[in-house]
Formats: sequence, C-alpha cells, structure tokens
Amino acid sequence: MLTIKNLSKKFQNKIVLNEINLSVAKGEIAVLLGQSGVGKSTLLRVLSDLETPDSGQIILNGKVLNLNTANQDHLVGMIFQHFNLFEHLTVEQNITLALTEVAHKTKVEAKKIAQTLLKQYGLDTFANASINKLSGGQKQRLAIARTLALNPQILCADEPTSALDPLLTNYVAQTLQELARQGLIVLIASHDVALVNALDCTIYLMQQGSIVEATTSKKLREHPENYPQLNAFMQGKN
Amino acid sequence: MSIAFIQQTLPLLLRGTSITLQIALCSSLIGFILGTILGFLHSSSSKIAQFFVTVYVTLFRGTPMIIQIPFFYYLLPSIGIELSLITTAIIAIGLNSGAYISQTIRSGIASVGKGQREAAKVLGLSPWQTIRFIVFPQAIRIVIPALLNEMITLIKDSSLASTIGVVELFKEGTIIISRTYNAIPVYCLIALIYLTLTGIVSIFAHYIQSRINRHVNH
Repeated sequence: MLTIKNLSKKFQNKIVLNEINLSVAKGEIAVLLGQSGVGKSTLLRVLSDLETPDSGQIILNGKVLNLNTANQDHLVGMIFQHFNLFEHLTVEQNITLALTEVAHKTKVEAKKIAQTLLKQYGLDTFANASINKLSGGQKQRLAIARTLALNPQILCADEPTSALDPLLTNYVAQTLQELARQGLIVLIASHDVALVNALDCTIYLMQQGSIVEATTSKKLREHPENYPQLNAFMQGKN
Repeated sequence: MSIAFIQQTLPLLLRGTSITLQIALCSSLIGFILGTILGFLHSSSSKIAQFFVTVYVTLFRGTPMIIQIPFFYYLLPSIGIELSLITTAIIAIGLNSGAYISQTIRSGIASVGKGQREAAKVLGLSPWQTIRFIVFPQAIRIVIPALLNEMITLIKDSSLASTIGVVELFKEGTIIISRTYNAIPVYCLIALIYLTLTGIVSIFAHYIQSRINRHVNH
C-alpha cells in the first residue's frame, strides 16, 4: 500500500502540490487527472526523487519511504512522457545497463532478463537495433520493459499516451492494467480521457495543485451526477 | 626546386615532422583529458568549480600561445621544475588546448537532454555512473568533429614551440633556409607536410563522422 500524506511542493512562490493525500493499494491504478500544469507530473516526479517535496510523507507498506534511496532500491519505476530512452545504446542495452551497474547482475543474467522482457513486449527482433529504429509505440513498450526489469513496487507513468497515436491508447491501458493485476502499484498522470475510460482505476481530479474530487472509474460510470467536476472533465467541459 | 635539393632537405624536414607529431599528439592528449575534466566541472552545479574554470579559460583563451609557451619555459625552472624543451612546449600547448576543449566538451554535455539524466537517476545510476554511461558517451559523439578540428589546430600551432628552441618541422625549415637561402622551396615543402598531416586528420574526422551517423541510423 502506498500512502501519500499532506504532500506539498512550491516552485518559488507558486504552489504546485497542496496538501496531497491519497492511498493506492497493491494491484490498483490511481490516475491523476487534470489539465496541464496542475501538479500531476510533479507528484510523480516527487515519488521518483526528481523533485524534493517541501513537506509531507510518502509511506510504502507502513514504512516512510526514503526518497533519496528509493531509486537505488528500485522501489519506484518511472515511464516518462517522452520515454527518455538512452539514444546511444541499443534496445537491449537500455534494459541491461541498470541491471548490471545498479542491480549488480552478471552480464549473462542481465541479457537473459532483457531477452525475456523484449520477447514479452514484442521487441526481441530489435534487441541490437538503435532506438531510432523504433516507432513511438515500440519506444513506449521498451520504456515499460526497461522499468520492469528492475522489479519496482510502484510504477509511475507520466502522460503515457500523449506521445502516441490515439489507436495505441487501448494497448497502453491494457498493459498498465495487466501490470497492476500482477501486483504493482500504478500511478498515472494524464489528461487523456480515452485512457481513463479504458482503465479500471481510482481517479483523482487535480486543479491548481490540489485534489478536488476522487472516485473509482466504476462509480463515476454508474453515478456521474455525484461527481460533477470529474464528469465535466470527462465530458470535455472543464 | 631540384630533386637533389628535395632529397637533401626532406629527411631533415621529416625529422622535424616527427617532433611536430609528438608535440601535437601529446598536447592533444593533455588537452583532451584536462578539457574533459574542466568541461564537466564547468557543467557542474558548483559555483566554485564554474568560477575556477571560467578564470582558467579566460586566461588561456585571452592570451596568445606565443606568450604562453615562453612563459612556461621561464616559469617552470624558476619553481624548480626542469623539463626538456619539447616537454615544456607539450605542457604549455596542452594546457592551452585544454581551455578550448573544455568549452567544446561543455557544449556537448549541454546538448545531452535533461531527460537522459533523469532516466538514469530513476533507474538508480549514481551521478558518476550517469556521467560515465550516459552523458559522456553521448557528449563525446557530438563533439568528436570539433575535437579533431582542435587536433588540426594543434598540428599547426606546434610550430610555436620553435619560439623556445624546439626543432620541430617549422624550425627545421628555418634552419635549412638560413643555410641555403632557398626559402620558397623549403616553405613549400613545409606547407605540403603540414597539409598532408592535417589532411590525414580531416579524412579521419570524416570517417569517424560517417561511422557515428551510420550508428545513429543503424
């Protein structure tokens, strides 16, 4: 279980996260929904130790998470909006680098893990290819594979469909849903209503750094009238 | 220019060429190592490191090498460091080259996207591992053509070592001229040798660039 308690963050005088509270259980997906600049990505960046919070706590399985060591311990994995794959490395090396250098696997073990993941994500024929040879969807899958190679407990995905053809939205949704089913805690920052519609998740609507409304996708579908702001956003009226 | 004159002078000029190459290669190596260290320091978040590199670069880029080489020639013995003329020239030229290369490396580092460092951090790579495996390999590919251009400059600038008495290609030529009073053929031969050396580096630079391009498109 991931619990975020009273998390706040300011950039100079601008509040980007204001007393954020939320909990996500193992196997669940939380979607941070909202327009650009409301703090969704910042929240994921705080979890990934790319930003330092001003106050608040992040608790994983009852223990306060030390963000300074969370990356070394591979507790949090991040799929970036533009994938941030290592352009000078091959597809396979993108996966094996952290396995050998951080997780201290042997080259043989790392290669085996990479090959399994590449096969699972349909990229095995590209193992020795440059990143530039991959399509947007393939890059997305490689970004997921690279993150999963380290077996994180929390998976953060920042706008996972924004750099993709809309036709791939369902594929991404299915993949993230499957990963949650396998026991990962999944947090997604998105403004893509189509992605949210394709997920079984808890939705947190964010505005100006605060969570203003939250419910499950099931409840929202059944009783949209109970969640006026979320419903308005989903209808594109926000 | 008679064949006999060429046969007579060419071995002497080639002897000078070997010294020119020694100076160019060794000072390139010093310049590359120093420039890489300074480039990373300049790109770091440490204000002290940035200030130090700025001062260093300003001093070495703002003064002519024809002053720097004799300066080290007189400075080093005065502080108890006795070196050969060639070594003194190599150090002076290398330190000068380091200032230029640091700015080339710095621009290469700046061109590696912030996202690459962030991805490395999230994967748990340490700052040193990020430099070693992510930033440096990408930056160096970007700046290799500029570094090879710097090498071409160093081949030509090595002639300034003659100001402290190093008998490299240019100095060897001036000695021949003072003996034979036959300046134009000797200068033509010297120019031809410099052109051959810089041409080889240019071809190599072109080859490396095409290899990089091929790798990117592979």
